[in-house]
Amino acid sequence: MAGRVPGHDGGDLDMDAGLLAQYIMNGLMLGMMYALVAVGFTLFFGVLDVIKFSHGDVLTVGAFAALATYVGLHAAGVNSSWLDLLIMLVLSTLAMALLGMGIARYLVMPLRSAPALNTLLITLMLGTVLRESVRLFYPQGANPKPFPALLPRASVDLGGFNLRLDNVLMLAAGVLVILGIQYLLNRTKLGLAIRAVAQDEETARTMGINFTAIVLITFAIGSGLAAFAGVMNGLYYNEINFGIGLYLGVIGFSAAIIGGLGSIYGAILGGFLFAGLQTIGTVLLPFASAYKDVFAFAVVIAIMAWRPTGLIQEKISERV
Amino acid sequence: MSASKPTTKKSRTSVWPGVIALAIATAYLIALLDAERQNLIIALLVVGIVVVIAGAWLGVLDSVSASFADHEDALGGCAIIAALAVAAFFHESHFVLLLVITVLLYSVATLGLNVQFGYAGVLNFAGASFFGIGAYTSAVLNTYTSVPHLLVLVIGGLLAALAGSLLLLPVLRTRGHYAAVVTIAFALLFKTFLEVNDVLGGPQGMQLKGMSILRWSFNDNIKIGNISLSFYMNYFVVSLLLLIGAFILVRRLERSWIGLNLDALRLDETAANCFGLNIVRWKITAFLIGNFLIGIAGALFGMVGGFVAPNNYTFADSLILVSILLLGGIGNPWGLIVATIIVVVVPEKLQTIQEYRFLLYALMVIAVLLFRPEGLLPRHVRRYFPGWRP
Amino acid sequence: MRKTCRRMIVGIAALAFAVPTIAAEAKDKVKVGFIGPLTGGTSANGLGGRNSADLAVRLRNADPKAKYEYELVVLDDECKPNVAVQVATKMAADKDIIAGATHYCSATAIATVDTYHKFGFPVIVWGAVLPDITYRNKYEEVHRVNGTMINQNDANAELISKLGYKTVAVIHDTTDYGKGHNEYFSKSLAKIGKANIVGTFGVTAEQQDFSSELTKIKALNPEVIYFGGLTPIGVRIRAQMDKLGINAVFDGTSGIVSDSYIQGLGPLAEGTLAFREGAPTEKLPGGKFFIEKYNAQKYDNPPEAYGAFAFAAMDMILDTIEKVGPDRKKVIAALADVKDRDSIVGKITFDDHGQNTVPVITKYVVQDGKFVEWDDSDYASGKRKLPGQK
Repeated sequence: MAGRVPGHDGGDLDMDAGLLAQYIMNGLMLGMMYALVAVGFTLFFGVLDVIKFSHGDVLTVGAFAALATYVGLHAAGVNSSWLDLLIMLVLSTLAMALLGMGIARYLVMPLRSAPALNTLLITLMLGTVLRESVRLFYPQGANPKPFPALLPRASVDLGGFNLRLDNVLMLAAGVLVILGIQYLLNRTKLGLAIRAVAQDEETARTMGINFTAIVLITFAIGSGLAAFAGVMNGLYYNEINFGIGLYLGVIGFSAAIIGGLGSIYGAILGGFLFAGLQTIGTVLLPFASAYKDVFAFAVVIAIMAWRPTGLIQEKISERV
Repeated sequence: MSASKPTTKKSRTSVWPGVIALAIATAYLIALLDAERQNLIIALLVVGIVVVIAGAWLGVLDSVSASFADHEDALGGCAIIAALAVAAFFHESHFVLLLVITVLLYSVATLGLNVQFGYAGVLNFAGASFFGIGAYTSAVLNTYTSVPHLLVLVIGGLLAALAGSLLLLPVLRTRGHYAAVVTIAFALLFKTFLEVNDVLGGPQGMQLKGMSILRWSFNDNIKIGNISLSFYMNYFVVSLLLLIGAFILVRRLERSWIGLNLDALRLDETAANCFGLNIVRWKITAFLIGNFLIGIAGALFGMVGGFVAPNNYTFADSLILVSILLLGGIGNPWGLIVATIIVVVVPEKLQTIQEYRFLLYALMVIAVLLFRPEGLLPRHVRRYFPGWRP
Repeated sequence: MRKTCRRMIVGIAALAFAVPTIAAEAKDKVKVGFIGPLTGGTSANGLGGRNSADLAVRLRNADPKAKYEYELVVLDDECKPNVAVQVATKMAADKDIIAGATHYCSATAIATVDTYHKFGFPVIVWGAVLPDITYRNKYEEVHRVNGTMINQNDANAELISKLGYKTVAVIHDTTDYGKGHNEYFSKSLAKIGKANIVGTFGVTAEQQDFSSELTKIKALNPEVIYFGGLTPIGVRIRAQMDKLGINAVFDGTSGIVSDSYIQGLGPLAEGTLAFREGAPTEKLPGGKFFIEKYNAQKYDNPPEAYGAFAFAAMDMILDTIEKVGPDRKKVIAALADVKDRDSIVGKITFDDHGQNTVPVITKYVVQDGKFVEWDDSDYASGKRKLPGQK
């Protein structure tokens, strides 16, 4: 019979386990990426009380740095996927760590005595500078660029759910990184110093902690995280373009805020929550992903109205 | 911090520095707008920068701003004449007039942002979204109803203010960065909402008929005797009137008891609360007034351009409005106008940098934030009466 | 103070009306315009078109019989409707630019038709396929040398039905371009009656993540996924189809006929179907001439699918200006009367809406990293099989 079969673009699909699993997997991958970005925001805020808005764009630069490394490696004849990936990760993480330190040293720290808004604005503008620089100065930066698929592409088809090895690997790597950061912050001396500075700068200094060094190191860690997230993003979508940082940055920021700035657990929670909101939005709303962003951002605004400092309350209080 | 010498008698600072500065600036602007060859434009820009830096170094800029502060009404009148002179010079060039109109309307929008942020300290990163609400209102009303166009402008402003009130609860309860995130989330939400919404035209946007008041259609070229004027002159007149109105409103607001309350609120919320100021009421007032101005500017701009699309009102555009605010000097309406001119006119003229313009704006703002955070023309500490000396 | 202001007015006004009368050079130079997406995901096509138009201008300037010297003014519409309206206003408002070859992206072309009409600026579209561009209004300023999407979707539906596929899922972008494709393809498929559309999904033009749409499509299990949109999202959808393990035929339109599609996907592009009106460039009547001259100029980018049409459009503009002189109204009048005009793409005739008829539709399939004509391919002869091909 001619004609279109109606009604199959929307919310009344019967959800078998495979489909559900697929949705969950999609949500987990997104959540992991958002969480990585959110953790970065929270680290910066905790240490310096600044919102470093250029974080998302550092992610973009990291991804492009990795791509450039790949191109260089291939030109030099290195062809092993694992080696490529390793070198790309190492180089881009180091490069972004350096970039992060530079940003801290030259842009953020000089503004500490100025109103907090100025730092927010300067990092917003810095984000624009980074984004535009990639667009203008990377060869054909304005076009989306294919990112090499370096992880094994084996997959298992479980009914409606396609379980891919590369997704699992990325998820595992993300979890490891986050656990690593947790360990660093809670079990090492460096982490102790970072937490001390985050809590009270003056006392930490009195205790002999080198404030500047700690700040620089924190920024380096955060930016390195961004590079890692950027490479993951590239591997997941097999494509990078100069705009991914802005979108991820805002979502990461919202996620960090929802979870409560300054709390690592909050940031992770916020990241997965946001991804969850988006996935639920696509499942429930009839127009597929058209309204998912609207839905997610609306919920963010609602949450802010209900709990102004995020779900995990900030410990300071200011009542008169 | 004015550098005028302390006066013992009640003599006021001279009006001349202001007048001369205004005349030079107008001539410069006309030259810049008229120049076509890139070399000439670059030369003009370099000359301009050098003159301004020399002026700052020689202390001339301070006496100019003192004279503006003291003789504001008179100089305001001269500024209006200057604007008319610019329009007269370019009475036939469509594109230059369009640029001038863009400057005028962006100034109105930034004045609105100024009320919100410069006076009340309420961060609004969704300026372009409220601008867009105004524009879409005029698109929808013009296409589907026959509401008189001047009324459409007012409705645009009101709707923008109304939309702003949706955000009120989260904005009121949050402070600083959190307030920022609320408005940023709204900015993104708005653009995506417009894009997926077919009723409002979706990503393709909507076309708008031109404005017409009492059957005088704004979209036809005018002929007066031998002189033919571009049809943009109509819009220019209305925009100029709007800017004058907004400027006067904002200035009066600043000088009034309302402005005093807003300043107290911005400078120290806790202390203001202690003194019995109703924080909530004043923040709401500032936010709504600001959005009203932005909305009207947006409604008019929509009619000028004849086209509205979601891509015009993105987060990046909101950032441009915020940059103008920062560059010009938060809280100073004159600084805003100068900054708007720089941000709108320079990339259009300097074609070679068109592609790089976002990069350059961002770098400029970073430079300003690092080296002169008060902006080009910073706001002076509150003065009760022009010419008053403590 | 009032007197000073008054004197200023007089002085500036005198200056304003005096200066324009001084300039008046003899015009041997004529400016023509080109608009296309020079940045962004479709820039390959835009740059190819620009180079082709530039080639036409160069060849004409090298011709000793030409009456005028031509200068090409190039503007970038970024494939965004709002930017397109801005640059269109800029070009049309500049009285020195006589005519233009405009637009690859349909979303931009449809947004600007009103602008060109408002300013009386003659344009010839070179790459946008949405029928509405010429057929929604009867604007005498707007013409088009390439064909519309109706025919390519007829051919598309025909091939799919002939190959025996029964279920099709449609993904289209939400601009007028994607919606147009959806409309015409659905109609054609319904008319033939052999295949059914199991689901239709609209996506935004800048969307990154298609996992939700594709997950739903996977549940519907279609044999073919029809895609009405441009290369950037085409690349993403195809890549993510693979990630989700969807093994269907990817069936696209002229929007993905571009080298960047193949570069973006590598081996995944294999077996993609696409359709385009007009013969492949080598097989056009003036194709070899065009390719030879194009390569001689050593441009950085290839002409891509629509370069030949851009050349033809610009060439026709230049011919017309040679014949009637650099006057917009005369050019419009001359373009209203184009019948069987020779060009490198064949004989051009504009119907009463300014639309040229391009009879040939080329069917492509990607084979070994190149767009190969279907009839010449291994898939047609049976040596290779598309997913699910019987």
